[in-house]
Amino acid sequence: MPRYSTRIAKIVNSSLYRHTLGAAVESRWGRLILLAGVPLVWLIALHIGPIYQMLKISLLSHYPVQPGVESHFTLANYRLFFSEALYFSPLIKSFIFATLATASTLIVVYPVAYYVAKVVRPEGRSKALLLLLVPFWAGELIRTFSVIMLLANRGAVNVLLREIGLIDRPIPMLYTSFSLGFGLVYLICLYMLLPLYSAIEKIPTQYLDAAADLGAGPFTRFRKIILPLSKDGIVSGCCLVFLTCIGVFATPMMLGGPNTVLFPETISGFFHGASDKWPVGAAFALIMLVTALIAAGIFMRLVGGRKRSAI
Amino acid sequence: MRNMFADAPRASLTAAYWAFILYLLLPLTLMMAMSFKGANYIAFPIGEWTFDWYVQVMQDKQFLDACLYSIMIAAATTLAATILGTWIAMLIVAEGIRGQVVIFAIACLPAVVPGMISAISLRIFISTVDMPTGTMAIILGHTVHAVPFVVVMALTRLRTMPGNLVDAARDLGADSVVAFFRVTLPYLWPALFGGMIFCVLLSIDDFVRTFFLGGYRPTLPMLIFAKVQGGMSPEINAMATLVLVVTAAVGLYAEYMTRRARTR
Repeated sequence: MPRYSTRIAKIVNSSLYRHTLGAAVESRWGRLILLAGVPLVWLIALHIGPIYQMLKISLLSHYPVQPGVESHFTLANYRLFFSEALYFSPLIKSFIFATLATASTLIVVYPVAYYVAKVVRPEGRSKALLLLLVPFWAGELIRTFSVIMLLANRGAVNVLLREIGLIDRPIPMLYTSFSLGFGLVYLICLYMLLPLYSAIEKIPTQYLDAAADLGAGPFTRFRKIILPLSKDGIVSGCCLVFLTCIGVFATPMMLGGPNTVLFPETISGFFHGASDKWPVGAAFALIMLVTALIAAGIFMRLVGGRKRSAI
Repeated sequence: MRNMFADAPRASLTAAYWAFILYLLLPLTLMMAMSFKGANYIAFPIGEWTFDWYVQVMQDKQFLDACLYSIMIAAATTLAATILGTWIAMLIVAEGIRGQVVIFAIACLPAVVPGMISAISLRIFISTVDMPTGTMAIILGHTVHAVPFVVVMALTRLRTMPGNLVDAARDLGADSVVAFFRVTLPYLWPALFGGMIFCVLLSIDDFVRTFFLGGYRPTLPMLIFAKVQGGMSPEINAMATLVLVVTAAVGLYAEYMTRRARTR
């Protein structure tokens, strides 16, 4: 402590400090600039800037501009999306996969979230949650790669099925819609867990006890009390999972096949292939973002709205 | 009869929980097991077991360089994100500042936007400011991704901080800067530590931003991805297992330290 104090004292009393930071914090404006300057520059330049630039470039005819070529504003990039099935079909597929994955995740994770929130004793909840979160520390790529071990022609599932005599030849599960769907759910199910857990944990236990005293069975208690009161968790969990799923990039490339090209892969092609197709890629990316947010917004309105009317 | 029926849901939920644990861990376990296979192709059953793949991986210059590169990027990202995130959090909780809700929304924007969109918008952004793809661009992209999480963690901690701690320091002669470093920062430390570990893990595991912003030098995820595309081999499993074990250990350590700090 003495050393620390001495060092601080030296810094504060040095002329360098007194004429720079020391002088700045003397005035109200100085303190304001010190507090707000860097954060605002960063937020405007790096959080808003990229989206703005993407929007701007999506309206250009060429970018990056080659020598001798002139670039002008146009809506052709957006029209291109609607003109060919090659372009809007992958977006529809992405939506279908994301919706099915979200629904599957909700069904799979809800009982687990309820168990940890209500059945496990309070002192054991941290450990129960921690056990669930460990796999989350493996990155997207490693978890996707792990699914291949399970589903490959000589993966665990096919070998097991053959060992017990159910099949003679491997079921081709890899590089199909099934492996992609399975991989997506496997990848994102933990994003559903925490919102559900938080919402269910907040439901007072007294409600359940009162319902039981009045003769309600387990299923009735679930349908009438737990489900409605955890609606907020369901909504935020589903939106989070859906938005994450719509933008997943590596998993479709590793687990999908020729018939399951999703929109992120289509968009990627405009940036890594042709050199002046960035405006098209930017337009498609914005279409994906806007449609995903609209879908999430509609979902929140439909599910959340009833709660409002109920109140 | 009634008791038996009453216990059924509980037993079912317990079974669901452990089935879920198995579901989460099984693919990773199989992946790790395959790294010990004594053959150069991926297939079950494993048959002959060996450590050869680990020996080979540890001697692989490309793998070691990718490790070093990823760690360096993660360190830079963590430093930048912690400073910026804390600064933004201080701005949000400061008295007399208007538009805090808007600032918070903008701060969290990168966490809400799908990763793919974020990566593409950053790719376009660095192009418009004439920054080349490569190390600096990757660090920038990872930092943008990590800042929202530091902001949230710091905000949560700051909102439980008694206001009179800083007031007392000011009354005793400290200026704003000294009060921050002597009072606020020590109070924030547990949250910042957790946030920093989270930033490291986010950065090391990130693939999509690195894919769009990176140059020719591969990070760990890029290396693993390239090898998977190039053909399966237990060598990939060994690499993935090493990365998984280290990141899980770091994550558990952070959880332990954060919890200990919380109870202090």
